[in-house]
Amino acid sequence: MSVKYTPVQWNTNKYIYDAVMLVGVALFLYVFLYAAPGILSHERPIDPQVHNARAFGACAFVMLTVILCIGPLARLDKRFLPLLYNRRHFGVMTVFVALTHASYILNWYFAFSSSDKFEALLFANTSYSQLAGFPFEVFGIFALLVLVILSATSHDFWMKFLTPPVWKRIHYLIYPAYLSVVAHVSLGILQDQQNHAFTVIFIGGAVAVGVLHLMAALHERRADAAISAETAEWIDICDVSEMSDGFAKIRLLPAGDRVAVYLNNGTLSAISNACAHQNGPLGEGRIIDCLVTCPWHGFQYDVTSGQSPAPFTEKVPTYNLRLEGTRVQVDPAANPPGTYVEPVPVPDHAAQEAPA
Amino acid sequence: MNEAEAILMGLRIWAMIGAAVAAVFLTIGMDRIDEDAQGAYVFRPLLIPGVMVIWPLVLWRWYVWETGREAWGRRYDPPRKAHFAVGMILPAGIALIILTGLALRQTWPADVAPVQLLPAQEVSQ
Amino acid sequence: MSDKNSPFFVGYLSAPRGLRTFLLVACVIFVSGLGGLGLALGVAQDDPGNGAFRFDYGRQTVTGVVEMTPYPLVRVTEGSERIAVGQTLMLSGQGKNSVISRTAPLEGQLAKVSGVILDRGDLEMMQLRGGRNGISGVEGEAPAMQTEQLGRWRLAGEICDGKCLAGAMRPGRGIAHKACANLCLLGDIPPVFVTTQPVEGHEFLLITGPDGTALPESAYHHVAQFISLEGEVERRGDLLVLRMDPDTVELIR
Repeated sequence: MSVKYTPVQWNTNKYIYDAVMLVGVALFLYVFLYAAPGILSHERPIDPQVHNARAFGACAFVMLTVILCIGPLARLDKRFLPLLYNRRHFGVMTVFVALTHASYILNWYFAFSSSDKFEALLFANTSYSQLAGFPFEVFGIFALLVLVILSATSHDFWMKFLTPPVWKRIHYLIYPAYLSVVAHVSLGILQDQQNHAFTVIFIGGAVAVGVLHLMAALHERRADAAISAETAEWIDICDVSEMSDGFAKIRLLPAGDRVAVYLNNGTLSAISNACAHQNGPLGEGRIIDCLVTCPWHGFQYDVTSGQSPAPFTEKVPTYNLRLEGTRVQVDPAANPPGTYVEPVPVPDHAAQEAPA
Repeated sequence: MNEAEAILMGLRIWAMIGAAVAAVFLTIGMDRIDEDAQGAYVFRPLLIPGVMVIWPLVLWRWYVWETGREAWGRRYDPPRKAHFAVGMILPAGIALIILTGLALRQTWPADVAPVQLLPAQEVSQ
Repeated sequence: MSDKNSPFFVGYLSAPRGLRTFLLVACVIFVSGLGGLGLALGVAQDDPGNGAFRFDYGRQTVTGVVEMTPYPLVRVTEGSERIAVGQTLMLSGQGKNSVISRTAPLEGQLAKVSGVILDRGDLEMMQLRGGRNGISGVEGEAPAMQTEQLGRWRLAGEICDGKCLAGAMRPGRGIAHKACANLCLLGDIPPVFVTTQPVEGHEFLLITGPDGTALPESAYHHVAQFISLEGEVERRGDLLVLRMDPDTVELIR
């Protein structure tokens, strides 16, 4: 929520989220850095710089893999939505872990020469014309640059300033970045590694990300097919008897936007399905204290006007609607954000006469 | 200047312009375009890295805000269809990359013995 | 879409009762999973080999004849308690820097060299101290050194940089280390070929280009790969030198 911007709008759940995330990350690093060396029975130990680089690199991969699983999991099963709530802190933490990995590598493999280490990183291996022995470092550099861009633009200010769709498009860069990380590992350490526990964990993580995204995409396509509407002057939404109080029906309109029609205390109102904050699906939320509440971050709107309650200033477009017999119908032309639309009362008999 | 130096120089120039844009935008620009930013200063340093990496976009968006050219409908049109493309491309890409990596993997050819092709011809001093 | 019975999480409100168990389980799986993965990945690391800086030997100072292959060697004529007469040491400077500028003027002459030893099996290298403390000419006639030609060979193995392999870095070979190895080789650190099976009793050979040239640029693309190649092999003291033929390099499938 806006009002005045602050660095982080803390609340109890964010503290819990960050604490659990940090405990997990700290445990991973602690075990890798301090417990594993005692178990390894090498004649001479791995250099601490390489051991550290591997710990942070592996940690960043695992973190990114978990982060990317949260999105499709939440689309497949709403119970995972709380994991989405403060995911940006998880992402920012991943950047710091990945930067630590990069700096250990840079200050070890690319140091000690007469050249600048950043230049050395770019020119030491130039086997770009072959896959085996390819300078896999460039994939890591690309992924790191993307992670830096995403974390640097994660504050709510950026969503409002860039608009959620533009912000979202920038943040789609996470997918090429993840592919790049997979390539970084596949053409790098996977080529050397003899212990197959590593291979299994790496492939398992990456495949989980791929499969979950495929499942979520297919799920969403089926859902979209079920809610998409034909072009018409008034778009038929549903029979009023199918609606339950405090909840919405979503329709995908011919122009590509989505409308959420809410039944609120026996009256019907229609607003855009896209939350002003991050374009979260308002129609998948519910009405709490007479306000539509977004399932992603809890932004709230008056269902009749699409306006956030004072002192908040967010607004979403509204839609005109009517009741034809027992059919709920919406005018597909949206009203400007914050336009009040008189709610349509549902007569008792309309709800009762309708087929079950 | 070699390619590596040129790339690093390019990055430095990008960041320097970004720093200049950040200086102007965070002190003057923000207050003009976003009422929620007025009187809020603590969060602004957090935005410096963001402006430095995407400053051309910042300038463009600033221009759009200032000139009021923005169509409100665009704010509520998330690229949800891209989820489907991602759902196809991501698993295919992951599978392709990993299979390539596994195919490239070499095994230490411990069974290949050294072969003397020609005997020694001379002893030099 | 949603229904009345499913719990609804709002970030700034306390988590609904119906979700608490689920979230608690998710947290436990997350934390224990990360700990478990840290352990599994941490102990999955391969043995980096037994190369090392031998600081435990202390500083070594020996006298010998300087040879350029073009990578600098010293054929020991007056050893120390650790280094015997007749041994051949590859020479490097600090970090990824060569000592060619210091050794070239002394080629074929007697010199005193001083520094720290790196070793891995029969691979030995000395990292010289700075300036004249590291290498200086010695009065006296340099004895004639034998170079025994061993003919043309086809070998299988891997090109590495001699210093990291010898123990400057653990691990000091492999694809993940390739850029680092290239950077050493660009700095004229002596390159080493690791063979799959011993050649005349040696697992490691100093590798150079043909006819006394440095490692050719084309070979850099094959660093850290498992390859086969042909070349002339010669014996200099206890060190074999492989003069590779760049046209014969083949990737082993």
